[in-house]
Amino acid sequence: MTPIDGAADALGGSIAVPRPPASAPAAPSALDSFAYDDDIVRKFMVATFVWGLVGMLVGLVIALQLVEPSLNLASWFSFGRLRPLHTNAVIFAFAGNAFFTGCYYSTQRLCKARMFSDGLGRFHFWGWQLIIVAAAITLPLGYTQAKEYAELEWPIDIAIAVVWIAFAVNFFGTLKKRRERHLYVALWFYIASIITVAVLHIFNNLAIPAGFLKSYSIYAGAQDAFMQWWYGHNAVAFFLTTPFLGMMYYFMPKAAERPVYSYRLSILHFWSLIFLYIWAGPHHLHYTALPEWASTLGMVFSVMLWMPSWGGMINGLLTLRGAWQKVVDEPVLKFFVVAITAYGMSTFEGPMLSIKSVNALAHYTDWIIAHVHTGTLGWNGFMTFGVIYWLLPRLFQTQLYSKKLAEAHFWIASFGILLYVVAIYSAGVTQGLMWRAFDETGRLAYPDFIETVVKLLPMWWMRAAGGGLYIVGMLLFGWNILMTWRRRPAVYDVPVIQAAPLVRESKTPTYAEPRRAGVIAHFMDMGWHRMWEGRWLYFSVWVLVAIAVASLFEILPTFLIRSNIPTIASVKPYTPLELAGRDLYLREGCFNCHSQMIRPFRWETERFGEYSKPGESVYDHPFLWGSRRIGPDLAREGAKYPDLWHVRHMQDPRSITAKSIMPAYPHLLTHDLDFAGIQRRVDVMAMLGVPYGDAVIDGNAPKMAHAQAAMVADTIAQQGGPAGLQDKEIVALIAYLQRLGRDATRVAPAVASGRAP
Amino acid sequence: MNTPTSEQDRLLDHSYDGIQEFDNPLPRWWVWIFWACIAFAAVYGLIPGNVLRGPGRIAEYNASLAEAARLHPPEVEASEASLLALTHDSKALVAGKQLFVTTCSPCHRPDAGGLIGPNLTDDYWLHGGKINEIHHTITVGVLDKGMPNWGKMLKPDQVTDVAAYVFTLHGSNPPNPKPPQGVLVPREK
Repeated sequence: MTPIDGAADALGGSIAVPRPPASAPAAPSALDSFAYDDDIVRKFMVATFVWGLVGMLVGLVIALQLVEPSLNLASWFSFGRLRPLHTNAVIFAFAGNAFFTGCYYSTQRLCKARMFSDGLGRFHFWGWQLIIVAAAITLPLGYTQAKEYAELEWPIDIAIAVVWIAFAVNFFGTLKKRRERHLYVALWFYIASIITVAVLHIFNNLAIPAGFLKSYSIYAGAQDAFMQWWYGHNAVAFFLTTPFLGMMYYFMPKAAERPVYSYRLSILHFWSLIFLYIWAGPHHLHYTALPEWASTLGMVFSVMLWMPSWGGMINGLLTLRGAWQKVVDEPVLKFFVVAITAYGMSTFEGPMLSIKSVNALAHYTDWIIAHVHTGTLGWNGFMTFGVIYWLLPRLFQTQLYSKKLAEAHFWIASFGILLYVVAIYSAGVTQGLMWRAFDETGRLAYPDFIETVVKLLPMWWMRAAGGGLYIVGMLLFGWNILMTWRRRPAVYDVPVIQAAPLVRESKTPTYAEPRRAGVIAHFMDMGWHRMWEGRWLYFSVWVLVAIAVASLFEILPTFLIRSNIPTIASVKPYTPLELAGRDLYLREGCFNCHSQMIRPFRWETERFGEYSKPGESVYDHPFLWGSRRIGPDLAREGAKYPDLWHVRHMQDPRSITAKSIMPAYPHLLTHDLDFAGIQRRVDVMAMLGVPYGDAVIDGNAPKMAHAQAAMVADTIAQQGGPAGLQDKEIVALIAYLQRLGRDATRVAPAVASGRAP
Repeated sequence: MNTPTSEQDRLLDHSYDGIQEFDNPLPRWWVWIFWACIAFAAVYGLIPGNVLRGPGRIAEYNASLAEAARLHPPEVEASEASLLALTHDSKALVAGKQLFVTTCSPCHRPDAGGLIGPNLTDDYWLHGGKINEIHHTITVGVLDKGMPNWGKMLKPDQVTDVAAYVFTLHGSNPPNPKPPQGVLVPREK
């Protein structure tokens, strides 16, 4: 018998069912009396709405900036700085607060216990909101680590870690004092989310400060890319997926008033999901300078992840069996059904996009943006709306103000999503195909990059319209929240709950029926899991082991195998001025639209030049390979155009390329460069192992920078440009841009051969 | 609505805040696809070049270069005579002018008087002022100075059109030109 037969047999047959202990502890002498803390849930709920609206409005602004570049009104109001604000706001502020809302509500009830500490709850709430405010201030001002979804600078990162740990203490403290013997599946997902987000956040953000709001990632180039997408992908997994699956497992059966479809499916899909997810990050880096073995692991683990993800979808949708008629007149269930369907679609699409050949077309295009928005607008947004519509009458202890309005919200937002994703899928595929098209002479069919951008403008308008409709839905949502709140009672009723205390955690398996013989059968009977569910710490440690083992299998080889990143002798560190220019590139958020990673495809090398090698970015703290090409790749931008070209281009991109959608950066020509600050940055780079030589001697770095700046300014003046730019930021940025991609071809590269095993 | 049977929809006797769970088996198709994905992962991973040593993506890229070279042998450069003939072909000149405005004018100015790049209307040339030299410069570019290799981006007849058009601009005396650069190459009559 093959293992497959065995599994199917064991799972399909009539088998022993894990049950609570037949001989329960003797009836407790007294019941505990307590009350749930719903005030904290109300707080998080309001924050969810407020930040959701803000984050989505910023999204609409940047969508409009792409079609109408004049809307880049100021340096702090330009696409490159607002795009991270949008992503951070909708992920961490909107979805984050939504998770906390659902988590604080359901955890207390699933544990039959008030939260461990009211104080920690308030600290968590206010701390998190302060962090969001800090993000909303620092990101538009250009303070960024330039790593996607990890843009916030180090003081804010530390605050996030502290607040998250406070949340964890509060959560696990509640598990410890629970009065329900077993942990319900929703709690497993919360445990996985809280543990893994902490691990991801800490290890991806390790950096050395070079000022109050400036730091350099300790990782560089391919290794930084690997860490970033290990983080980035699993932020999707453990911030946008597992918390919401946990909420689904609580609120879906509650709203449908039906039992969950399959307990054993919960077990299998939970463990396979968290174990497989953590490997999948490298699929964000296919065909880049990441070693191919890592890329392959990222792909195959993503493919294997398909069914574990769909396990959640099945359990969600099949829970509605026998209750489908309720969907007709219950907006909460409507939201849940679309949310889970969107989850199913994007978790099919994810594995598909991770297949290398599909990814070759989709990477750097809007296809990825479409994929993300199916997940976020559909899954995260609609789960959140459903949960909050369900909570409103319960938390405000009154009737929902208007079910009709909620229905309208549902239909308008659904239509908005449709409009958004149809437009942006078309845009992605269109641009991907245009990039790779050759004509009959063997030349690129669309050699001018801007052609492939202009083509998308109608679709981008349609996307903005779709997003606009989604926001209209948000406004209806807000009105419904406000009006329901106004109907609340003068004083909230605080029901006293009575429950028996948990005598002691059980360490013995809890079977009611005889166990079957045989290892596989025993495993499949899930009795062992029932025991784990009775022991919160034991369970949590296994979660940590699952994600840590999988991570280390990829992280260790990435850092330890030298042949992963063959060094190129001619690649040297950036000069102090170029480093300062690179920091301006980060500040302005250029990496949001420009990749610096040419993939080994003829259509890329014809357009941008020789493909990028891992050895070229060894001094890049952080790496800047990018993830979306709204503008052309810049990996070989150095010396492509004269310095004066760049001056004019930054001043007014449309004077060079009539249809360009790039924001103008005139302030670079007027702002003075902070020469004095360069020394500290060079020193930190040297501390990270970048061989800076004489530049680390105190005072040398600014001196060297001044000398190079004078040369650049001279060249600009000679070419007929404005004089006197030697103190301005523009010369540093140009020095950096003119350096890009030139080192590797300077001398024949001395390459340590060999690929990773 | 499904009627619960002994196999289907057996309720487990626990309840969390009123939530109950069925002990339904895993859907068979789910189990099978999961195994199939695992099998695919194993097989794909074992193909040389994917995880183990082997040819991989760079070999594929090199093969694509060889294939392209086979399909598109190097083109013969246009001769001086054929280019000169184009300077009297009004269709070619109109097309050349259009290309010049969209492609060349950001650096050379719409009237070719020079801006970032040199003045193209005077008698001074940096890389040769004969029509086939102009054609060559457009084709291969002057990469060190920021002149792109337009031969990669434009089709052969587009390059000849624009070369012909540039050649006819000589002596158009645009206002406020960029000072002469390069060597004097008087135009032969």
